[in-house]
Amino acid sequence: MNPFPTPRSERPACLAASSRQGLGRLVAVAGGMKRRAGRIAAAPVEEVLEALGEGALLLDPGRGLARANDAAGRLLGWPGKPPRRGTGLAALLRRAARLDAAQRRRILACAAALQGAADAAECEAGGLILRFRRLASGQTLIVLAATAGDEQAPRDPLTGLANRRAFHTSLTAALARPGASPVLLLLDLDRFKHINDSLGHPVGDALLRLVAERLRGRLRAEDLLARIGGDEFAILLEHADGVAGLAERLVELLGRPYLVEGHLANIGVSIGIALAPTDAGDPETLLRRADLALYEAKAEGRRGFRFFRPDMDIRAQARRTLETDLRRAVALDQFTLHYQPQLDLASGRLVGFEALLRWAHPTRGMVSPGEFVPLAEEIGLIIPIGAWVLREACREALRWPEDITIAVNVSPLQFEDGPGLIRAVQGALAASGLPGCRLEIEITEGVLLHDRKETLETLHRLRAMGVHIAMDDFGTGYSSLSQLRSFPFDKIKIDRSFATQIEAEGGSGKALVRAITAIGASLGMTVTVEGVETDVQARFVDDSGGHQIQGYLVSRPIPPEFIRALLARHNPHPGGPPHAGGQPHTGELGKKSSLQDNLGSRA
Amino acid sequence: MTPELHRVIYCSRGDIARDPSRARGELQRILAISRKNNAAAGLSGALIFASGNFAQVLEGPRAALEARFERIQGDPRHRDIKVLEFTAVTAREFPDWSMAFAGDLTADQQDPLAFVVFAGAYAHRASGSSAAVLGLLHGLVQREDIWSFA
Ligand SMILES: Cc1cc2nc3c(=O)[nH]c(=O)nc-3n(C[C@H](O)[C@H](O)[C@H](O)COP(=O)(O)O)c2cc1C
Repeated sequence: MNPFPTPRSERPACLAASSRQGLGRLVAVAGGMKRRAGRIAAAPVEEVLEALGEGALLLDPGRGLARANDAAGRLLGWPGKPPRRGTGLAALLRRAARLDAAQRRRILACAAALQGAADAAECEAGGLILRFRRLASGQTLIVLAATAGDEQAPRDPLTGLANRRAFHTSLTAALARPGASPVLLLLDLDRFKHINDSLGHPVGDALLRLVAERLRGRLRAEDLLARIGGDEFAILLEHADGVAGLAERLVELLGRPYLVEGHLANIGVSIGIALAPTDAGDPETLLRRADLALYEAKAEGRRGFRFFRPDMDIRAQARRTLETDLRRAVALDQFTLHYQPQLDLASGRLVGFEALLRWAHPTRGMVSPGEFVPLAEEIGLIIPIGAWVLREACREALRWPEDITIAVNVSPLQFEDGPGLIRAVQGALAASGLPGCRLEIEITEGVLLHDRKETLETLHRLRAMGVHIAMDDFGTGYSSLSQLRSFPFDKIKIDRSFATQIEAEGGSGKALVRAITAIGASLGMTVTVEGVETDVQARFVDDSGGHQIQGYLVSRPIPPEFIRALLARHNPHPGGPPHAGGQPHTGELGKKSSLQDNLGSRA
Repeated sequence: MTPELHRVIYCSRGDIARDPSRARGELQRILAISRKNNAAAGLSGALIFASGNFAQVLEGPRAALEARFERIQGDPRHRDIKVLEFTAVTAREFPDWSMAFAGDLTADQQDPLAFVVFAGAYAHRASGSSAAVLGLLHGLVQREDIWSFA
């Protein structure tokens, strides 16, 4: 009796292509077969194999794997589930993470010996003794046992792959072979840390196992794969043929979604590649150069691969020097702040200053933030530097008239530790005695891209302290407008690139400034245009309804000792709210003379 | 109710033969292996192929579902896999189907409904799209009575 009667829907699928009624050309054809319940009971031979205590593989004659016990899986180290029935010995060994190419070859040679007269053979590879025996049934039984001292086998216990030490040994050996030209790929997962932090280590570990499996599945038997760090993998290929294609496939493959432990995970990978002997002949240099290439791959937006190029070495050298200098600068207090005024168009008065970081380098002179802030962010120095800026700016601002505010830029990295940032702001306000409402924190659009919930919480807590929040460099990032709606910003600062375009022939600057100003104003935000350098630009901002300007037209950033003089010139009658006092707004830029004054302050 | 019953809905862009009869062969092979594997693993679901895109609903015990998805995502016959939904569910949508199928092999004309659904799915509107894909598949599978004589 057929235990599985064929349901109607099990008839052979037939794909119809004709047009039908209903859903247009979409044609539903045969459905799938009904699900079946129940599993086949374990065969006795499996019990025997498990009882053996040692690793055992049973191969059918010419048909590959019949059975493998759990111990064999542990000893050979295949990532994930065991190979399927019918898998050939070569494919089986390829999936055995603990073996390298030479070891696999040795085992296959041993198996080949069995094809001849012998009905037993034995070999040793990768810390294992393998005993082959041909059974009367024609099947081959392979019994595996660890050789003595295997306890410290250099395996990564999580993935079963070679670990860093084992990889290094293999790399050294590969480079030592005469005429060899191996290729080293270093892989670093993008966003893995985020998954690990937000979903927990068990999910992170399971994800790493899937990554290892995807990689192993795409490599050839002779390629060595290792896990050399938390979310770092390394691959050693015997030669460079097709390496770019492989790297591209791996990037695509690891970038596909993962379903892991009930979660959806999306990660990516960046790959750095170095070729021996062209790029280096010794393992250390080769690793370093692949790492430099990896660094560049990451820097260029991730999810990609880069080959090492000599100029990467030169840049890395410069970066190292800068890094040493920067660490010293923090220790030696080589930073200063310059201040750029912000002018209120309606009153013609200065209403605030933006603090801008300067580094007085002992030999290079003044270094601008663009040159060192990215590095400071990368090596974490931005946190202490950022806290210093807050303290120093608040301390300085306290000496100014009470209606003048101070704006401080805060890096996305500072926002990653929200409580730390809040402590830094609280500390700066408390130490200086500056009221929170005179401090304005400027953030860039990038801040809102990550961990939005936590970031918004931090922003709200800052607001609760009276601190104002400004959106800086507006219009340069992604989805700018939707960001404006995500938080009640006090101010938006239109990026300087738009000011330049105001006067450009056929440029889009005018329309953009007008549109952004209208939106900002409708949301009740102060609109400041940065980088204003000419009267024409200033007048356009005014006519468009913009509130404030900042730029060389008013003044370049100045050292603190010049602030009093600048204020005396612009705000002759101290005190008074900016919109109420000062010159009446004529709409014809009645403060023309004061603007020209400012030009005088361009050193 | 099966413990840990989960459902995944994804769409992808097909990398299969352009020629309809060869495409048919490829789809038949995909369906044959799907039905065999899914039935054995206690999985059920539905697959659609329309205007060059796939969308699939796959449901069953979590571990089996995750393992099967890991095989499917690596399949070279499609790419740009976008998971629209992966969630625990209390009941199956397609309890009777190891893999129901609905397809359109003449890609010269796009089915307007499928076109809209796929466009939405790839335009970062995962939440609404998963419901739309599900609706699309339900509509088709319920009509299976009509089509199955073919
Ligand atoms: C769009 C698409 C959907 C698929 N759906 C399934 C499925 O539901 N179940 C399945 O077993 N295989 C499915 N496959 C096939 C798998 O990718 C893979 O070829 C097959 O599972 C391999 O089976 P194996 O593990 O027995 O080698 C699908 C493939 C494609 C391209």
